[in-house]
Amino acid sequence: MATATPLPDTISDLLGIGGLAGELLSMLLAAALVGTIMLTMTAFAGPWAKRKITAAFTDRISVNRIGPMGLGTIIVDAVRLLSKELIIPEGSDRPAYDLAPVVLAGSAILGFAVIPMGNGIHLADPETGLVFVFAVASIASLGLLMGGYASNNKYSLLGGLRAVAQNIAYEIPLVVTAASVVLFTGSLQMSEIVAAQGVELATIAGIRIPAWFAFVNPFAFVLFMVANLAEVGRNPFDTPEAPTEIVGGYQTEYSSVYFVLFYLGEFVHIFLGGAIIATLFLGGPAGPFLPGFVWFTIKIWAVFLFTQWCRSAVPRVRIDQIIEIGWKGLLVLSFANLVLTAVILGVLGL
Amino acid sequence: MSTYDERNVEPPTTDAGDVDGDAIEELLGDHVLDREQHLNADAYVVRADAVQDVLRTLREEAGFDHLSCVTAEEHEDRFESIYHLKQYDDPTNEVSVVVPTSREEPVSESGASVFRTADWHEREAYDLVGIEYDDHPNLERILLPDTWQGHPLGLDYNQDKPQIVTFEENANPLEGDHRGGEDSDTMYLNIGPHHPATHGVLHVETVLDGEQVADVNPDIGYLHRCEEQMAQKGTYRYQIMPYPDRWDYGPGGIINEWAYARAAEDLADIEVPEYAQVIRTMGAEMCRIACHLLATATFALDLYGDFTAIFMYGMRDREVVQNLLEDLTGQRMMFNFLRLGGVVWDIPEPREEYFENVRDFLDELPAKLDEYHDLITENEIFQSRCVDTGYLDPEVAKDYGVTGPVARGSGIDYDVRRDDPYGYYDELDWDVVTEDGGDNFSRLLVRMREIEQSARIIEQCVDLLEDWPEDEREIQANVPRTLKPEAGKETYRTVEGAKGELGIYIRADGTEKPGRFKIRSPAFSNLSALQEMSTGEYIPDLIATLGSLDVILGEVDR
Repeated sequence: MATATPLPDTISDLLGIGGLAGELLSMLLAAALVGTIMLTMTAFAGPWAKRKITAAFTDRISVNRIGPMGLGTIIVDAVRLLSKELIIPEGSDRPAYDLAPVVLAGSAILGFAVIPMGNGIHLADPETGLVFVFAVASIASLGLLMGGYASNNKYSLLGGLRAVAQNIAYEIPLVVTAASVVLFTGSLQMSEIVAAQGVELATIAGIRIPAWFAFVNPFAFVLFMVANLAEVGRNPFDTPEAPTEIVGGYQTEYSSVYFVLFYLGEFVHIFLGGAIIATLFLGGPAGPFLPGFVWFTIKIWAVFLFTQWCRSAVPRVRIDQIIEIGWKGLLVLSFANLVLTAVILGVLGL
Repeated sequence: MSTYDERNVEPPTTDAGDVDGDAIEELLGDHVLDREQHLNADAYVVRADAVQDVLRTLREEAGFDHLSCVTAEEHEDRFESIYHLKQYDDPTNEVSVVVPTSREEPVSESGASVFRTADWHEREAYDLVGIEYDDHPNLERILLPDTWQGHPLGLDYNQDKPQIVTFEENANPLEGDHRGGEDSDTMYLNIGPHHPATHGVLHVETVLDGEQVADVNPDIGYLHRCEEQMAQKGTYRYQIMPYPDRWDYGPGGIINEWAYARAAEDLADIEVPEYAQVIRTMGAEMCRIACHLLATATFALDLYGDFTAIFMYGMRDREVVQNLLEDLTGQRMMFNFLRLGGVVWDIPEPREEYFENVRDFLDELPAKLDEYHDLITENEIFQSRCVDTGYLDPEVAKDYGVTGPVARGSGIDYDVRRDDPYGYYDELDWDVVTEDGGDNFSRLLVRMREIEQSARIIEQCVDLLEDWPEDEREIQANVPRTLKPEAGKETYRTVEGAKGELGIYIRADGTEKPGRFKIRSPAFSNLSALQEMSTGEYIPDLIATLGSLDVILGEVDR
């Protein structure tokens, strides 16, 4: 169970520092801790886990030479990527070109500020936590568009435009579906949403089934999973990158550190998507036996695994099809879900 | 679909099927200057200003609807363009139209307004030999850079002259229409030559209207390796055979070698022992399976976007075929397995083990194909991407000289193996696969179903080879060490490559090397139809269509 005390307060209590300076320091420490956790996870996911997972799906072995199970690749890759030449294309729009990767990576990490990760790892718990998370996550579209047009490359431009078109089309179903969860909890506060899922839904053969919204409203869960795939740009919705069509989309021209930031932003974004799903539908850090944080990690890695599975097995839809699915399919379904949930809740008088 | 037996096609002949030469001469009337005999067909020498008339008459009134190839060559006293015409219904019905022009003024009328495929073929003729075509829509170099000086297959060409052209002199594809102009709504985009989905070094000049393709122009030649010229410098008997492996390296090596072998054996009048024909047939079908597996895998790669499961499965299964081919030929890609008059060696010992391996592969194949169908053709997203995209009308396809799985995907029932049989195909029981859709999905289905048919052929070949009496295993005919077909003999022979009709034209000049060696590449003709198929569609469909054409640039550019 997530404790009600946010992490900065825990730290300041622990270190016995008070006052404005102490509060600031503990806030920074807490943010650094959460940031480090997420970046470590990304470091595992990007150069190592992604390769291993894809290899498992495609009958290959993948990295196995450096370190146990090829884990040394993480270090080697980091050094390799960071030591590459940073190439800035001629005619690129400078401040925007440099800012885009930072915006992308920053927006994704920012979202974790309000996610309750269990064992008291919870930076802040504002009353509008859910809105905050969606708001900062969608700043990423801005980063993609900036990178796309500032690169002075037609493939990048196409990728950036696709990214925006796609994110707008899928942001709305995402938020509307999340709203159907809020109907149950009556609160946008993340800790409240997690707490609402703590109650017992039913007991089958002695096993207590919690009222996770994935069980309460599976339809919304599926909708959210699909919309999330589009939001993080994974197959079948990876059109903004679409390597075989538009080379690399918005990140075509990026190299070295900027590329790392793009790559990292993308993975943090997937994890943020996983964190939102875990919080909204899978009871946040709740789970038997293991500590909350471990459960939370397992849940977001499960979502990560799902995105990688789709990436290996599902073909990409065309850009016009993806927009059609978004506006004509998911949007309608998500509103239907919202209205239906509202009606049912109203009739039941909850 | 119909079997060879049902169609009741005539056995192969060295003349032009059941074409009535006199009737054609009468039909063409005054245009005909002379008549020649090529080994494959009657040839009519016509006036250089009557090419369109002649081709149109032959197409509309004599039913020659397939311009298979245009060969250009230079003689001591004249230039010649040879139009090799066939019928899609029965490719054994052939005629050749020979158009001589003077060396001083090598201008001939273009046939591009009658057969669209003549466009690219004549550009190549202009590029390499130097014949100019009147009334041609776009007479530019096609294989060599625009800045190239001279025509390398011409007699006067100085090979030692350096072709040094500064970078600035080369056409800059970005110049001029960088952003499509001030008041233009379109955007010019270079797809390739370095692009993840162009299957080699292909440059597609694309004009986009938003995400939609307004115009497409494939720019080829990046992989041109002077294969024709190299073949002209090699002796028939030994030095030419290694080159065909480098055309369609899908790996369609044995089929390519067979194309050369068929033409050269025709020219030198060599009878190939039946046993060798069976081995050739088996090897060729293995190559076809490997090619089609590669095509399926890369097509899926184009649609999925990453190195996904289906791509790796395709590679995994192709590996099995490659191992079989390696056992058979000693090489994985550049087989050099065929010889004029047979094959280089017998099935590897122990024979039983080899046949066992082949049978194992054949037994596992249906389950693997089912897996593919599960993964791709039955996937709804995949279908929504492929069905009704990249549509190729059968009439348009014929106009462009499209052959092979691409033509059969448009419902054209045309397969050289059945219609103009060679090797052991006419003795075996198999079907020609066609699909009527004409879209990317149909082409994929044709390839996947052709794998099954090839497996059938291989199985029958293995049965035959296993029971072949030991003292009758003749792998090569008795062919002289030096072949010197008499001067003036000309032939154009085709085989069914993995991509379509692969043809070789050879003119003997009395020496041990060909006077002219021309390759008719199926992928070359198929690629020329890309514009028809993808204009008006989205970029992803353009990429998918390109993938479904299954071009191997080594074969396109030669």
